[in-house]
Amino acid sequence: MFDYTVITNNIGLLWQGLLMTLYFTVITIGAGLVLGLFVGLIQLSTFRPLVLLGQAYVEFFRNIPLLVTLLWVYYAFPIFAGINVTKFWAGFIGLSCYVASFYAEILRAGVQSVDPGQTDAATAIGMSYGQRMRRIILPQAFRKMIPPLAGQSIIQMKNTTLLSMITVPDLLYQASYISSFTYRPMEVYTAVGVIFLIILIPLTLLSRKLEKSGASAK
Amino acid sequence: MSTTQSNAPTPEKGKTSVLRLDRICLKFGDKRVLNGIDLSVVEGEVVVLIGASGSGKTSLLRCINLLNTPTSGSIVIDDEVLFHRQADGKNGTPIPNQEVNRIRSKTGMVFQQFNLFPHMTALENVMEGPVIVKKEPKEQARQTALKLLDLMGLAQHVEKYPRQLSGGQQQRVAIARAMAMQPKVMLFDEPTSALDPELVGEVMKAMVELAKSGMTMVIVTHELGFAFEVADRVVFLDQGLVAEQGPPSKVLLHPEHPRLKSFVGRFHESADLLRPFLEARQAEKAC
Ligand SMILES: Nc1ncnc2c1ncn2[C@@H]1O[C@H](COP(=O)(O)OP(=O)(O)O)[C@@H](O)[C@H]1O
Ligand SMILES: [Mg+2]
Repeated sequence: MFDYTVITNNIGLLWQGLLMTLYFTVITIGAGLVLGLFVGLIQLSTFRPLVLLGQAYVEFFRNIPLLVTLLWVYYAFPIFAGINVTKFWAGFIGLSCYVASFYAEILRAGVQSVDPGQTDAATAIGMSYGQRMRRIILPQAFRKMIPPLAGQSIIQMKNTTLLSMITVPDLLYQASYISSFTYRPMEVYTAVGVIFLIILIPLTLLSRKLEKSGASAK
Repeated sequence: MSTTQSNAPTPEKGKTSVLRLDRICLKFGDKRVLNGIDLSVVEGEVVVLIGASGSGKTSLLRCINLLNTPTSGSIVIDDEVLFHRQADGKNGTPIPNQEVNRIRSKTGMVFQQFNLFPHMTALENVMEGPVIVKKEPKEQARQTALKLLDLMGLAQHVEKYPRQLSGGQQQRVAIARAMAMQPKVMLFDEPTSALDPELVGEVMKAMVELAKSGMTMVIVTHELGFAFEVADRVVFLDQGLVAEQGPPSKVLLHPEHPRLKSFVGRFHESADLLRPFLEARQAEKAC
């Protein structure tokens, strides 16, 4: 019934798809962290227009379905802007902006969960805003942020499957391509599910462990 | 007891004023918390602030190093203006952030909840200010920090994290951390209120030692016995105003203001029995 040869015969395509998925996972998490840190810090500033701008960013990308964002960046944005956007750039921009909104919220919540007494103590010994953030607040906030950051990054890897909708040849795209000429969707999509499980279960366990060690460090 | 005596700062202490507050007002929204506080503290003087809960003691202390920004008034620390704003809201001298940070580090603050940095050892807590703010060489800061921790009786605990220390030990680390910046004046906000009773003594002892070493101190406390022991001057705050002040023997034993009378009532009763003893002691101190 279950024909393994479908998978072994097309292992090269699946491998290419997996590499593409991993590649997008890594670069969009990287860009998302940088952008998210920026947006998060903006939200924590005391300058009201900046705070509102940060909030607007977060609400915008959090509340539009990721698939809509991707399709919009790929198909609609080029028409508005009158420029050509490749599917790779569209995928990169859409996924990065999306995950950045979640990272920004995690950062904001993390920083705001640090006891205000810490800011008082750091200020009282003469530290500037930057020194306080860098030396006192962010190190404590990051500890609390590790579990939600890990969780969001795991979701991000799964979200890259939406890239197949704008024809980026990720794992899912290759799978549907293989099943289109082998007529064996059962084997192919089972393989894709298993691949995600193999990669993500260890990461989930790791993030649980981090969560525990983070809790005991408190 | 003559009133002239009660209002003059203790004469044998230095005369230079380390801290001068002029007509400090503070509002939170519409709520008026401080209503024009004048307070001058001379070098080596120990001032104890007392008052009912909500009378503005914490707020006043936090104004001194601008953790709270007064609505108006002026603050001078060690002859440098830290804050000045007239009652009409005009900012006489806007002071750049960098200057504010520099001048405020001439005050050291000790909080009710210790507020040690939990991700740093006791030693790192004490070194943080000198290394990061004053850019002192690490080794030098380390030596100073070790000396201060030793002075606080914590030589055994320098490598421990705050969570491994008792409340009393944490508060002594906090005192060392503030002292490491070589402040001109130390501010204490109910430093023993969060401690288990059996740990109160060790922190008070450390503070008495500091006072003896000539440190200028402003202390908020509810421990009137301790106030009596350590204060050169006791200041009674009521509804955001200085309602009465003077030497402890006057303010704590012969209060005039009706609310101060009821505030020190219980201390007063027990002090009645001890009065001859306490007054003898006060006379001894004055010589
Ligand atoms: N951050 C704040 N915002 C609003 N009101 C405050 C704030 N801090 C203190 N207050 C109010 O100011 C008054 C004085 O408080 P505080 O200075 O803490 O008094 P104390 O230390 O003498 O108990 C209280 O009524 C308190 O509710
Ligand atoms: Mg208070």
